[in-house]
Amino acid sequence: MAADVTKHYPFFSYWQKVTLLLWLIAAVFFTLSDTEIISLEPWSELLRMAEGFMTPDFFATEYLLESLWQTVSFALLGVVGGLLFGVPLSFLYSNRLVAAFCAVTRSIHEIFWALLFLQVFGLSPITGILAIALPYGATFARVFNDILIQAPHTTTQTLPANTDRISRYFYGRISHVLPSILAYVRYRFECALRSSAVLGFIGMPTIGFYLETAFRQGNYHEGAALLILFIALIGTIGYWCRPKLILFYILAGLYTLPTIPSVDGMLLWRFITVDILPPVLLHVEHWHQIDLNLVNQLLSWAQKLFFTQALPGLAITLLLALSALAMAHIIALFSSAFSSRKLAGPVLSSCVKFGLLVLRSVPEYIFAFIFMMLLGPSMLPAMLALALHNGALIAYLTVRQSDTLEVSADYNGRLDGYCYEVLPQIYPNLMGLVFYRFEVILRETAILGMLGVATLGFYIDSGFAEIRYSSALFLLVCTAMLNIVVDMISRRLLITNINQQMTCSGNHQASPKTLGSAC
Amino acid sequence: MRLINIVALLLLSTLSSAAFATVFTFTAIPDEDESQLRTRFDKVAEYLQSQLGVDVRYIPVKSYSAAVTAFRNNQVQLAWFGGLSGVQARRLVPGSEAIAQGYEDQFFKSYFIAHHSADILPSENFPNLNGYTFTYGSKGSTSGRLMPQFFIERNLGKKAENVFTRIGFSGDHSRTIAQVQAGAYQVGAVNYKVWERALAKGIVDLDKVDVIWQSPTYPDYQWTVRKGVNETFGADFKTKLTKALLDMKDPQLLASFPRKSFVAAENADYQPIENIAKIIGLID
Repeated sequence: MAADVTKHYPFFSYWQKVTLLLWLIAAVFFTLSDTEIISLEPWSELLRMAEGFMTPDFFATEYLLESLWQTVSFALLGVVGGLLFGVPLSFLYSNRLVAAFCAVTRSIHEIFWALLFLQVFGLSPITGILAIALPYGATFARVFNDILIQAPHTTTQTLPANTDRISRYFYGRISHVLPSILAYVRYRFECALRSSAVLGFIGMPTIGFYLETAFRQGNYHEGAALLILFIALIGTIGYWCRPKLILFYILAGLYTLPTIPSVDGMLLWRFITVDILPPVLLHVEHWHQIDLNLVNQLLSWAQKLFFTQALPGLAITLLLALSALAMAHIIALFSSAFSSRKLAGPVLSSCVKFGLLVLRSVPEYIFAFIFMMLLGPSMLPAMLALALHNGALIAYLTVRQSDTLEVSADYNGRLDGYCYEVLPQIYPNLMGLVFYRFEVILRETAILGMLGVATLGFYIDSGFAEIRYSSALFLLVCTAMLNIVVDMISRRLLITNINQQMTCSGNHQASPKTLGSAC
Repeated sequence: MRLINIVALLLLSTLSSAAFATVFTFTAIPDEDESQLRTRFDKVAEYLQSQLGVDVRYIPVKSYSAAVTAFRNNQVQLAWFGGLSGVQARRLVPGSEAIAQGYEDQFFKSYFIAHHSADILPSENFPNLNGYTFTYGSKGSTSGRLMPQFFIERNLGKKAENVFTRIGFSGDHSRTIAQVQAGAYQVGAVNYKVWERALAKGIVDLDKVDVIWQSPTYPDYQWTVRKGVNETFGADFKTKLTKALLDMKDPQLLASFPRKSFVAAENADYQPIENIAKIIGLID
């Protein structure tokens, strides 16, 4: 495959060009960003953090087991809910409206879905589960559709002529892709665990509830213990989440759900008719009252919001996300090399893999938090946090592929051999993952907004904090637009090429599309 | 699929909204230590239950805005609010009343703290903060955001964003102390009680960070009860509730807030806070 490409580009191959372009853009964006290092004496606080991790206190948290279980239960029910509406939508995904609806749904971070549902359902498990189910369902719809499109048609041609359509479809198409669909759902469950924990930050009874408080208030002994437990929970999914047990978990999850406060239909009505209306429209009782003056007021409201919040937020979001993307690429490149069995010995490879588990399990929020102590309140901590988390995730997915690769007999197991033989084979996949993660990184800048980096998420969070839902919603719409534009560009630029590469390599590994999407 | 769910929920809600508030529910976020919330406030719930003769339940929340939402949606009928969140809540549910405040909340204050490298000497007069970096606490905090911003803008005569070279929201008073102590921000504003507790715990190094200015006093935390509790829980429920709160003498219960005792309060006490929030532009 590599030879095939170099035929066209004797010196710079396609992927080298893409890589250089990415680095160039990121370098420009990085210099435009605020990356000043301004922390002068972080050591006493960092020392306290280190002490916390040396002597974690597993008994400081109340209702610890309950919160761990709720983390699992919200994640599982969220994924089930996502499947319930993602699977039907995936069949309709070729419809542009459906695709657009899914893109908008995906583009809004779970936290913001939860903050919206909070207004309608209150502090209820419905809020948390829907906040996971909606964006996950939209992602399932897209990914399942992508997988189905790639399914080979060969089997359908060999079936007897009188086979009914349903059997034809299930046996001929679905059965081909079922393993990748199941692998994807399993992977998304891990993502859902993280989402479920993060929803604790805004009040769901998951482990994040206590984790955020502990770190925010400097109770590092407790915070460290919770973080260790959470990493262990994710690291051991393979042991406790057996296919046979899933039904049991779902039933147990439903049974132990915190009590659902009764839903008041009026709240939904009020939210739609009052809360999300711009302030100038609040006193309008009847259509007759809408005149030019009011339209002017409305426009100036939107204009002010757009120029003072949306635009600066958008700029910071893009600067942050692109710089983080390039950093994640570098991290992924190196860490996937050193955790690959093809290059590193079994000990080093296992150690790096464990490091990757830690890095991808810890919510970005916590990293940003630590780096902020160390480096000061610029954009740098947020960049590093996003880069580490996403880089580790990309590396983890890449290594799963590189470990199963076949190498030639004269492969020497050294760096030159790795670069000559393994890297060219995994690189398209790695780059695909990097670009698919861009959408995710964009969304995750929202979380860092809650930590004070002035991304769009920061302004949305302010909107919710000041009980100005109309502003929050306006900015959420801006966020969704940004995501749709990015999605369109990245699809146009990359997908055709990646798909060619994937089919060229005859690789039946889960494609980047399958694995890299939203997490 | 979703539409069906929503419709089903709507139908369900018409059946069950009558049974909404048979349990008297309250929420509280203490201004200092937020660990073990449920364990600590379940005891307060027990106390109230014994005094009021109705079922009382505590639900934990993470932020002032979540507390306001729960109050507005009648998920809680009583809340321990900060100054600003109380004003927001009472504006959203007209007829709600501030019934009691902490003894300390009659004369609450904020401290401005600075890193030693900023070279700002402690003073009675408002320091000249032009050109420094500055962090508030959380966005909706009275002592960490609203009042500091007001004092800055009134004393320096311009918008806070034109005073500082960088403005942050640490999210929490403890964070503000940690970040100013680390030099991440040169100046910050904190709740005075959190500062004093941090001093007592020995996590403040006075060589690195110290108080440079104390604000004038203002009213802060209060208990706010939702309108309509008398209809649901009995004719003199509000009076009984107020009495129960004012009579809370068990130091262990009071330590959860933490307050010395509770004293009577009324909505008018918080008029200054509302006015300031309007001046700052936090409420319309």
